[in-house]
Amino acid sequence: MTLRQQLACFAAIAAAQLFSCSRPQPTPSGVVIEIKSPLGLPRLETPADNPPTSETIALGRRLFYEKKLSADGTLSCASCHSPTAGFADPRRFSVGVGGKLGARNAPTVLNAAYSPVQFWDGRSPSLEDQAGGPIANPVEMNMSHDLAVGRLNADPEYVKQFDGAFGPGPITVLKLQRAIASFERTLLSGNSPFDRYFFGGERSAMSPAAIRGLEIFNNAKRGNCSVCHKIGEQNAPFADGKFHNIGAGLNAEGELTDLGRFTQTKDEHDKGAFKTPTLRNIAQTAPYMHDGKQKTLKDVVDFYVGGGNSNPYLDKEMKELKLTGEERADLVAFLEALTGDIPANSGPPK
Amino acid sequence: MIKRLAAAATFLLAAACSPAPETKPADPTADSTAYTEIDPSRAGVVTGKVVFTGKGPVRQKVDFAEDPNCAKLHKGEFFNDAIALNNNGTLANVFIYVKVGLEGKKFRPPTTPATITQKGCWFEPRMLGIEAGQPFHAINADPLTHNIHPRTANSREWNQSQDAGADPLIRKFARAEIMVRIKCNIHPWMKAWVGVTEHPFYAISGNDGTFAIKNLPAGKYTIEAWQEELGTQQQEVTVTAQGTETLSFTYKGE
Repeated sequence: MTLRQQLACFAAIAAAQLFSCSRPQPTPSGVVIEIKSPLGLPRLETPADNPPTSETIALGRRLFYEKKLSADGTLSCASCHSPTAGFADPRRFSVGVGGKLGARNAPTVLNAAYSPVQFWDGRSPSLEDQAGGPIANPVEMNMSHDLAVGRLNADPEYVKQFDGAFGPGPITVLKLQRAIASFERTLLSGNSPFDRYFFGGERSAMSPAAIRGLEIFNNAKRGNCSVCHKIGEQNAPFADGKFHNIGAGLNAEGELTDLGRFTQTKDEHDKGAFKTPTLRNIAQTAPYMHDGKQKTLKDVVDFYVGGGNSNPYLDKEMKELKLTGEERADLVAFLEALTGDIPANSGPPK
Repeated sequence: MIKRLAAAATFLLAAACSPAPETKPADPTADSTAYTEIDPSRAGVVTGKVVFTGKGPVRQKVDFAEDPNCAKLHKGEFFNDAIALNNNGTLANVFIYVKVGLEGKKFRPPTTPATITQKGCWFEPRMLGIEAGQPFHAINADPLTHNIHPRTANSREWNQSQDAGADPLIRKFARAEIMVRIKCNIHPWMKAWVGVTEHPFYAISGNDGTFAIKNLPAGKYTIEAWQEELGTQQQEVTVTAQGTETLSFTYKGE
């Protein structure tokens, strides 16, 4: 082979590699649809490279309930984000493949689409990225991405459905993540009694107790809850997308057992800080806090009345609250008014 | 030359074989403090009682308003006896301790915990004695959430919620303090007192008003009685080997 031939061959290989790398991303091939936000939620932003389509949403829904994605075929996303438990887990810690126990309480998927980052410690920047995490996590579904994709590629039904959603081509993990993320974007909860009262002007939508609870919730000198669980003028995310240390998760000796956000940032101030969870459908998603220690909403209110747990990194907004018994009950009534409708077509596909 | 080599070899051997002190892990149980050993044959007892005279206190009912679930834990009325008057005209829950006379002595703190229990949305006992450095345990025996909050001035202040069925909270008080008030941030009526001493010479008057400080080395002491509403009183006492000194503290009602 002459030098020229060698160079030509090398160039051809390089070009082929370049071509394969710049292969079009698996963007959905179908007609883009708009996911309508219910009353009380902002307009939903969707990523330019993964706009929602009916096909990807339907595929994502099937994958969300697909047990093939776990090593032993026993678990799906819904095993720990159950539609009958507000898309969360009623157990303190979720149980993974082989009975392995997770270290944090599974948060709800409802309205996760609005969260700027995913997981309690914010380690994932998007729903797409997040969707890949639990599949491979050894204490969750414990399944390598290659194996998961292999199982789907071996199923003609899935091949057909993926082709319909992304155009012809092999099933890839990125397509799987995008489909699940698109389905999760439809899991929006709004139009709760609170939304109908506060944004819809329906004065009888909330009970008098819940109305009094709202006042305490919003009042910086009383409950001061909305300092992190935000209520806006147009909509109410009941979160701030930030991380706070409220002292949850201390052991008997008063030490932090989970450093939370610090594990990602290594910033001292983030020790024991966790992402503010949404409070929507909170009455359905017991137990509470990242460690699932609080069993009831009353326990949660009592925890805050007590000022959380002291530790060197406690958020400055955490203070002992002076609330009467009735006021504490009013706060619980308000939290119970945050249960919105679970969208249709969110349960296991027929 | 050979000598020097041998010396070097010995040095190397010694360096290799003898444990390097700085790399030896610190034994957390090691305590290099020179503690005072108590010789029972050269120690005595201070005993006595706390008497109450005058008009008895008006008993105050506890209002469980902040948490109706607490009221459900009691049959009928429940009283907050800040002045615990016994049937025989004496007082319980008075903290009596050596205030002066043990300066310069250090006593090994016990390893057995001093325990406070939250039961019926109330602290038991209301008056607890503990030594600095001794384990302090807080137990929640109630089916609801409590919050332990010692209002310390001499040791680091802390508070922690404790849900039903949780393990005991385990802490220590670093330094002596008479008196630490224990709060529950969730139930403002809950109140207990912890007397933190740096020696084992304290007692709490019982249901018959008596107290006894045992095994106190012979010497001159100032004994103080502390009552949460009626304040403090002091008496001087000289303890002799194998002797018993009897004191009587008298608090007057209004």
